[in-house]
Amino acid sequence: MAVYVYSITPKDHPLRLDGLEGVGASSPPLRTVTAGLLCAVVSDAPEELRPKRRDIGRHQEVQQRLLEDGTVLPLRFGYTAPDESTVRQALEERGDEYADRLRRVENCVEYNLKASQDEEMLLREILTESEPARRLNDEIRAGTADPDAPLRLGEMVAGEVQARQESLASGVIEALRPFAQEVDSSPPTGADFLNVSFLVTDEQDELFLATELSLAHQMGEGFEFRLNGPLPPYSFS
Amino acid sequence: MSVVPQSGGGLARGGGSANLYDVLELILDRGLVIDIFIRVSLVGIEILKIDIRIVVASVDTYLRFAEACNRLDLESGRKAPSQLTDLVGDTMESGARGKSKGALSGAGEAITDTIRSVTGKDDEPEEEEKKETAERRRPARRSSRREKSASREEE
Repeated sequence: MAVYVYSITPKDHPLRLDGLEGVGASSPPLRTVTAGLLCAVVSDAPEELRPKRRDIGRHQEVQQRLLEDGTVLPLRFGYTAPDESTVRQALEERGDEYADRLRRVENCVEYNLKASQDEEMLLREILTESEPARRLNDEIRAGTADPDAPLRLGEMVAGEVQARQESLASGVIEALRPFAQEVDSSPPTGADFLNVSFLVTDEQDELFLATELSLAHQMGEGFEFRLNGPLPPYSFS
Repeated sequence: MSVVPQSGGGLARGGGSANLYDVLELILDRGLVIDIFIRVSLVGIEILKIDIRIVVASVDTYLRFAEACNRLDLESGRKAPSQLTDLVGDTMESGARGKSKGALSGAGEAITDTIRSVTGKDDEPEEEEKKETAERRRPARRSSRREKSASREEE
């Protein structure tokens, strides 16, 4: 019987699985597979799995519960093993590696920070601060510019946007880096200019949160900071 | 009773769709991969990838930026808060233009300033306003964290 695999934990994890439901329409109960010093949390694999809110939420809730009580390596959503003995085999063959990974995230949580900036505000800043861009913009508005002017202005502004957002992003990351064990930056999506995860220890937690909050205040109007966490260490597993 | 943090963990518990959306990529695209396991084929998962921001360098983007600039009325525009301009100024200095001061020191100073204003008593009125806005955007995050640490200590 194929099993869906949620997480790997140390064998001494409390593994409080009551009240949690597995992914899939039948909401299967969770159980554990133990080998050596490690445990895998599994359930019967569903016949069919789609990345729907319900199942993604269940996968995440399992990780979140395990994180509350101890150390957990969350698996990526959607992985199944043909049977329990394959899970045992994985835990045995790569046991040292998983134990190392567990030690790396012990007493740590992940925080994911995304940030966006109001585009109009950004463009306004650029036009205010860049003489050539402002002049070109004025000429276009006055109707005295050549036909290529909009393209030149756009290119100029796009360059400014990118440079400003990249340095804002690195400014935010560097400001928070002292309060994290590890930092994992990803390409931002949508209107965001920042998408970064931090691995933060218990001891660093207060300062990390205080610093993030004050950064968000500091940036002020026109910026939106979205911090999610404490999360299981998805980005550091 | 289980204490599930409101944000991030609160996907199915009133965390709101914004929350789910924000951590989706972590759940679907990060996390441990065990190579002898098989990933169920997931219809719809590629939608996420499409959303990755398109590189700024394209004619379409240029024209869109130009149009947006043309529409701006610089005279009537509200001025950005001075602190913001300072921070942007500071971080910009570390950018491609390479002036004297770096992003790190700029942002660092900015933090010290606000840590003081958050923890200290010398809040300026305008500072208060910003704080409220920021806190509205992210309800219950700090308190939920406290619940969590509290539940850990009880063990």
